[in-house]
Amino acid sequence: MTQLAYLGIDVGSISVNLFLLGADDRELYQSYRRVDGDPVGCVQGSLAALCEAIGESLPPVGGVGVTGSGRALIGAVVGADLIKNEISAHARAAVHLHPEVRTVFEIGGQDSKVTVVRDGVVVDFAMNLVCAAGTGSFLDSQAKRLNLSIEELSDKAMLSRQPTSIAGRCTVFAESDMIHKQQVGHRQEDIVMGLCEAMARNFLNNVCQGKEIEGPVVLQGGVSANRGMRRAFEKILDTRVIVPQYNMVMGAYGAALLAAEMAPPTSRFRGFESALRPIATRGFVCPDCANQCEIIEISDRQAVLGRSGGRCRKWEG
Amino acid sequence: MARLAFEPWGNYSLALAASVECLGVEPWTSSSTTPEVLRLGVEATPDSACLSFKACTGHFVKAAQEGVEYGAMVNSTGTCRLRYYHLLQRQILRERGLRLFVFNVGYDGLKPPIVRHFDPDLPHFLQCCLRARLKVLTVDAIEGAAWRTRARELEPGATTRVMKQCLQELGQARTTRQIRAVRRRVGERFGTVSLAAGRSPLRVGLLGEAAVLRNRFLNHNLEEILGSLGVVPRNFFLLGEEIKNIFGVGLWSRHSRFTLKRLARPYLRSPVGGHAVESVGNAVACAREGYDGLIHVCPTGCMPEISVRPIIRKIGRDLDIPVLECSFDEHTSHVGVITRVEAFVDVMEQRRLRSGHHGKNGSSA
Repeated sequence: MTQLAYLGIDVGSISVNLFLLGADDRELYQSYRRVDGDPVGCVQGSLAALCEAIGESLPPVGGVGVTGSGRALIGAVVGADLIKNEISAHARAAVHLHPEVRTVFEIGGQDSKVTVVRDGVVVDFAMNLVCAAGTGSFLDSQAKRLNLSIEELSDKAMLSRQPTSIAGRCTVFAESDMIHKQQVGHRQEDIVMGLCEAMARNFLNNVCQGKEIEGPVVLQGGVSANRGMRRAFEKILDTRVIVPQYNMVMGAYGAALLAAEMAPPTSRFRGFESALRPIATRGFVCPDCANQCEIIEISDRQAVLGRSGGRCRKWEG
Repeated sequence: MARLAFEPWGNYSLALAASVECLGVEPWTSSSTTPEVLRLGVEATPDSACLSFKACTGHFVKAAQEGVEYGAMVNSTGTCRLRYYHLLQRQILRERGLRLFVFNVGYDGLKPPIVRHFDPDLPHFLQCCLRARLKVLTVDAIEGAAWRTRARELEPGATTRVMKQCLQELGQARTTRQIRAVRRRVGERFGTVSLAAGRSPLRVGLLGEAAVLRNRFLNHNLEEILGSLGVVPRNFFLLGEEIKNIFGVGLWSRHSRFTLKRLARPYLRSPVGGHAVESVGNAVACAREGYDGLIHVCPTGCMPEISVRPIIRKIGRDLDIPVLECSFDEHTSHVGVITRVEAFVDVMEQRRLRSGHHGKNGSSA
């Protein structure tokens, strides 16, 4: 019998991540690609890149799991067996790689969340609600201001000996404060590390408020690529902070793990060829009640693949 | 005939409309807010006002634009800002040059101004009020059946269809006998929905601020989201019980204000406005009744519910029941609500799978 592979897709606000899981939890492929406003095109681009990279040796796909905020749409486009919320998918991945984990910090482009895990099971979680000051977008804009790439920023932060304190409650005020600290003459690496600490404190104050944060902590999501953040969390929490192996694509990895666990007898995956066909979307307002939901219908040349956007279940499926 | 606008109260609007009719005025309402009404409300109100106030004021603005003469606003006689909402609304409407008079509906003597103004024939009025109460109880029966059925329906949307049918019949029922007949048929009607066999579904209690709990548009149709995930919700703003509380009937029932106050006492002794003490009492009651989880629903900036939010979190820890905190305002994203609720359902499911050997929430070291 040929070994099956399981595909996980994480469609986030900033990036689309793929993970192809082979037999024995082996990584066959992973990718991280910026969305740039076109989630369907980005998923198709990622899938095409996957086909190209693996080519002939691509094993048959036994199941597909989709997660992230765009999961409903993309789930319909590729034919997903499992559509899972990103909180559960991220936790699944973290627990799989580090069974001893008690807290998961996931900081992505616009979302940041904390998941409390006890004995390998999620018992509580929280997501940022009205403020994105502790997320990747914040870091991105500050790195741009300092004229540093994220990698340089990460390296710089590790050099700091005396982090500068930066007001981190609000992106705009953090910037003003940073400019002031530069003008006063603080060293750049100290400012960068101060920024990381401000972000970590902001995250702990806003998102983790009232949650029981215990180590070991797993830090994942796009922001975990910045080693300064890990250092900041370790310093503030005084506990071990682990950045896992697949830190950038944990959502996709979790979705692939969940699909493999589910092991559908026959996958609903439409196949790489079909999934790469051009997709047309059409929006309309449902006239049936006062909610006036905007329904998005997606189709390829042959058939309607799915609809989403309704507040009742009339249009789905 | 003069018209009287009131805030949408979910399916209760239908029963409340019946009580408005008995004043000899035509009711002007709907079961939930529309995006247009909310937009009007957001424009007319200060940004820091709560979502319920925005929606309700928007409703009055819309009504005034359509030439409705009167409006009715509930007034908690307690310690929350709701007490002043009718006054604020009067001023907002006046400043916008809109001619709609907002009545204050709350305890205001045995014959409140709204009744004095329309001065209906008393025996007829009382009879109509009893009918309206019967409609409220019928709505409760319909919703209870819908919550239980939706979680296990085989054909998605079947429950909602049956529910709409029942509510339509109830809306048309005029006499006491007709209303009773609708109520009797509820079980039979919902019996036509084919159900999936299997284990009993998860049960979750919805607590919090009344208007958001009952307005499907404001809470992003939380009850249906839960139902479609196979969970039986129970909404703890029950108008039938509320009426009993107002008239001091059924003091020893599970839902009476006294019972809830007693349950809340270890955590909260003083009134903090709105239904906050009731929320705390219900949280304790749900935990004891074996609910799988609680969802605390409130508009962003709701003074009473935000005051009790940490208390409900503590009850979650003390009595070992997961709590999801949901705040709603006009910017709340629908996907965000679904993601949180889905993840919360996963948490409850995992707990049930492991029930028997899980420790206290968060402290099973």
